[in-house]
Amino acid sequence: MRLSQTLDLDGTSIVCGHCGHGLCDKDVNWKEKAILNETPMRTLGDPYSTDEQVLLRVFSCPNCGALLDTETAMKDDPFLHDKIFT
Amino acid sequence: MIDPITFSIIRHRLFRVVDEAVITLKNVSGSAITNEGHDLMVSLYRADGSLLMGGVGFLHHLTSAAEACKSIIRRFRGDIHEGDVFLLNDPYTAALHTSDVYLVAPIHFKKELVAWSACFVHVYDIGATNPGGFCPDAENIYTEGFSSPGLRLVEKGEVNRAIMDTFLNMVRSPDMVALDLNSMIACNNVARKRMRSLIEKYGIETVDETCKTLITQSGEKLRARLRELPDGQWQSRQYLSVKDEIARVELTMTKRNDTLVFDFTGSSEQSRHAINCTKWASLGGLFAPLFPLLCYDITWNEGVIKPITMIAPPGTIVNCNRPAPVSVATVGAIQSVNNAACITIGKMLSASEKYASEATAVWHANHFAVFLFGQNQHHKQAIGILTETFAGAGGARTWADGIEVGGEIPNPISRMANIETIEYTFPIRYLFRRRLKDSGGPGRYRGGVGMELSFVPHDAPDGGMHYVVSGKGAKFPMSDGLAGGYPGSPNAYIWIKNNESKTADGHSHPIRLDAMSGEKQAVDWGVFPLMGNDALYVRWNGGGGYGDPLLRPDEEVCRDVEHGLVSPEFAENVYGVAIDDKTGRLDKKLTDKKRTDLLARRKRKNGGGHAAVTNP
Repeated sequence: MRLSQTLDLDGTSIVCGHCGHGLCDKDVNWKEKAILNETPMRTLGDPYSTDEQVLLRVFSCPNCGALLDTETAMKDDPFLHDKIFT
Repeated sequence: MIDPITFSIIRHRLFRVVDEAVITLKNVSGSAITNEGHDLMVSLYRADGSLLMGGVGFLHHLTSAAEACKSIIRRFRGDIHEGDVFLLNDPYTAALHTSDVYLVAPIHFKKELVAWSACFVHVYDIGATNPGGFCPDAENIYTEGFSSPGLRLVEKGEVNRAIMDTFLNMVRSPDMVALDLNSMIACNNVARKRMRSLIEKYGIETVDETCKTLITQSGEKLRARLRELPDGQWQSRQYLSVKDEIARVELTMTKRNDTLVFDFTGSSEQSRHAINCTKWASLGGLFAPLFPLLCYDITWNEGVIKPITMIAPPGTIVNCNRPAPVSVATVGAIQSVNNAACITIGKMLSASEKYASEATAVWHANHFAVFLFGQNQHHKQAIGILTETFAGAGGARTWADGIEVGGEIPNPISRMANIETIEYTFPIRYLFRRRLKDSGGPGRYRGGVGMELSFVPHDAPDGGMHYVVSGKGAKFPMSDGLAGGYPGSPNAYIWIKNNESKTADGHSHPIRLDAMSGEKQAVDWGVFPLMGNDALYVRWNGGGGYGDPLLRPDEEVCRDVEHGLVSPEFAENVYGVAIDDKTGRLDKKLTDKKRTDLLARRKRKNGGGHAAVTNP
């Protein structure tokens, strides 16, 4: 079952849609189990000349490195949590 | 039971009624914001004020104008007559901000109230502290201009001169505002005439039955669609920055069976700045993307409103308490509600094999409301918005790039005026207006690029003019990406003071920001001068991207570089695509290495999702 364009539900587990790697139980925010790269948005160059405090969060699969989601965020703001009811 | 052919004919006639009324509005109006920018809306409503036929223009007005009709019905109960036209622009009653004036008109047939028509334009001026109606420094609604919860501007076909003259006495450029009001009266007159013609031809019972069936059908179709989508919960967050304040619009959208709940609990307290929106504005704000994204093949009417619930805690930026200032709402919190709803709906659609192709990243997340005002070269007072604010960038879809300068979802017919129109209206000369490199959100499918422009005073009797800028959100990219796509770039507003630089020929200004001399100051909130050798530079956001930038095919990145949409530095450090300096062609070997390195880097925590871009 599909959770998003990049994630699937396999039984009660959320898995990477690219390699099938299991991330966590469906009731957990999968982002806690993904690899998080958090960098200042301004590292994208001139048109993205934002404050240092504006971050780009990149969540990737720990197994294959597939990009699973991104968020614009400020430090310590909680992750957005998307879930499917089954 | 109506035969299907008659039903279909009446349905299409209702569309045509709205279309003809829009044409009337544009033809009578003399304001570029209306007839070129298309900052307008016309719709039809049932006798009880519920939405019958949502029209085009800014879609967040469809539900607010319904509330305007309902409010007039309550206020004038038993005293609503054929030929009346009512004016309402109070945001705490139904409107979005005072500048967007509603004119709503009852439609009678054989002395019975059978329907309403409603329209709005952003009037030339509303008598607020700042010309044009956006008041960045307003502390409350009392300084945001004329505001009415409902008055009868036209009584049984005759304009109430006392009211009209009082209204015009309170605004700048009353001749232009009178034209705005007349265009809306004409628009409602055409809608009324065409509706009556329709009823005369087919009979009130048949038309009424068709309207009821249309609403029932729309409700059933949306509910059926919702049942096809997975049950779940999706979140989004928007940041708005004004001066030193950072506000958040937080949204959790929950879908169960055939209902949707948009819950804004957790959003910031109402702001001291005029970016707040009222309850009606938030409701309109969430429906603006919902209509096109979920109801693209369903008639927009009361039927699609019923399955939707909004939770907007009072006292917050999405449901402020009177007298909080709201004059910047349409480009403030309302737009953030648009964006937040767009991305949660997009995530829900993405969770469905069937509907994933309908999902989109955010389009044009941040209007840049810049109102120019002052004496123009024709020695007249000129006030007006830079209509480029309507020329947003498309968000990427699950199957295609965003459209460069493709517009915006909440107003599918938005446009920007020709430069010649603007230069004729204001004493300015454009140095450039063009697509903005590297502004589209990276992704497998790239977000559409935004634009940049710069102009200087020209032939100004007073040496220049002034402008009001309500540029909230310049600190944050707001066009969120989808499924790993990056956001589009944010807006920026730069005042170049005393720009005396010249090009090599010594005659004209350079056409690049970095080549302009003079002090450069960021200006995103307030009133500023543009005098003498000053220049104003504005750039605005790209659309959000979709999917992984490392999966964008090499040749598509090369094409973007060739077309000037992506710089070689951006291509290399974000997409991992290397262009040979000498040939300008793809360096395949180096590209493969770059992409492998970026992937490896991504797998290391805090390795970075991309390499830092250093612009030359």
